[in-house]
Amino acid sequence: MATMPEEISPAIARHRASQPSHVPDDRVFDIDMYALDGIEEGYHEAWKRVQRPGVPEMIWTPFTGGHWIATTGDTVREIYHDPARFSSEIIFLPKEAGEKYQMVPTRMDPPEHTPYRKSLDKGLNPAQMRNVEAKVRSLAAELIEAFATKGECEFSADYANVFPVKVFMALADLPMEDVPVLSRYARMMTRPEGNTPEEMGANLDAGNKGFDAYVEPIIRARRGKGGDDLISIMVNSEINGAAIDHDKAIGLISLLLLAGLDTVVNFLSFMMIHLARNPDLVAELRSDPLKLMRSAEEMFRRFPVVSEARMVAKDQEFKGVTLKRGDMILLPTALHGLDESENADPWRINLERRGISHSTFGGGPHRCAGMHLARMEVIVTLEEWLKRIPEFSIKDGEKPIYHSGIVAAVDNVPLVWKASV
Amino acid sequence: MVGITVITREGESVALSGETGLSVMEVIRDGGIDELLALCGGCCSCATCHVHVAPEFSDRLPAMSQDEDDLLDSSSHRSALSRLSCQLIVDESLEGLTVTIAAED
Repeated sequence: MATMPEEISPAIARHRASQPSHVPDDRVFDIDMYALDGIEEGYHEAWKRVQRPGVPEMIWTPFTGGHWIATTGDTVREIYHDPARFSSEIIFLPKEAGEKYQMVPTRMDPPEHTPYRKSLDKGLNPAQMRNVEAKVRSLAAELIEAFATKGECEFSADYANVFPVKVFMALADLPMEDVPVLSRYARMMTRPEGNTPEEMGANLDAGNKGFDAYVEPIIRARRGKGGDDLISIMVNSEINGAAIDHDKAIGLISLLLLAGLDTVVNFLSFMMIHLARNPDLVAELRSDPLKLMRSAEEMFRRFPVVSEARMVAKDQEFKGVTLKRGDMILLPTALHGLDESENADPWRINLERRGISHSTFGGGPHRCAGMHLARMEVIVTLEEWLKRIPEFSIKDGEKPIYHSGIVAAVDNVPLVWKASV
Repeated sequence: MVGITVITREGESVALSGETGLSVMEVIRDGGIDELLALCGGCCSCATCHVHVAPEFSDRLPAMSQDEDDLLDSSSHRSALSRLSCQLIVDESLEGLTVTIAAED
């Protein structure tokens, strides 16, 4: 989604939380997840500054309400996989905003979570995705053909911000004209505005309520009608043998919209910026269709876009620090895929890499239900793009603009190529 | 090296040998059997390395994780012998293992 420059909150005057007594001084680092130092050079580059020799696995920042940050791949993975110690009761920061977040089932822990997750999987499992692949492919081809002969495009505006959204709206059977308002709600939730935790909470709350009000009549209309779109499949699924509650259905379908409208959108731009700067890699992808299909996972490892959080479920010692129930821990997935101790030479896209290690889709019971859709969208994009635009680069003198948040964003991705007339 | 036999979708039997520590998926992929797409490279997140294992080996294999179980559930060709081959790590106890590549979904 496009974030206009005038909407960026100034880095000055950011609210600082006071340091709790159980946080030692040597763990305190000034890191603002919504305004990372060095973000001009790139989102992943900026996060990577935090992961350097001598920085402990768990650090604490006074920004964004005050929270811990897991700084290594191993720590991010361990926290994701242990819901008994690290709860999903609150997953967005600042905590004041996370408390307003009402989507389902991302804030539930097992076993309450399990039946809701099953209804999500019903609409998004690999078998469902194979059924919709042809439709997804034709949407990609149509978009690319609209600009292929022009020799240039603004990739984020002309493709990345449009393709996953078109796919999603088609799968959910929703009208395309609703996209701008839904994209605005998504941005309010993943990069909420405001300089204090309270202001950010209010912005996120407004975005969440916007989604809820949008989906409410749609859910009423589709319940019990036996449609085969994503929303119908999910609102007509059973939870522990009974029809899903209306309120829970609102949270579930709102989550589906949020997740479908802001993640792959930004991932695709990060991937294409890198490809535009690495023609040898593009040639390697073109040379072997199977290699291209298998490249998606390495792309996911290299370009994680999500940084959500977990709440400490009980007082405990962890990685040399004392954690108190209610403490929040940010899990920057960028710090897993790009961790040298998990993936050698992590900045390099290595299509022969073995044992790819990442948390780009999270992990544990909440691992992204949409990962099969995401993988298909990435493969289809690469295939349909390279068929029509085999070589391309970033327009001379231009620089993409990066934003950090719960979901990273990038805009201004002008690509150029030799148009065959 | 551990000997593994792979039955392809066309019914062809291919004898491969794999190094201890690799996954059965990697042995099949490195053996050039491209019909096993193995898209996610072993992250247990795609279900495209689905095989049926010979019954006499099924109790020698590591227990199935929740992720693997959920992914296999999405296949219309799941049987009691279904496994994702990226989750089967080669060791001496698998000498002589036969796996059949599951039909494409």
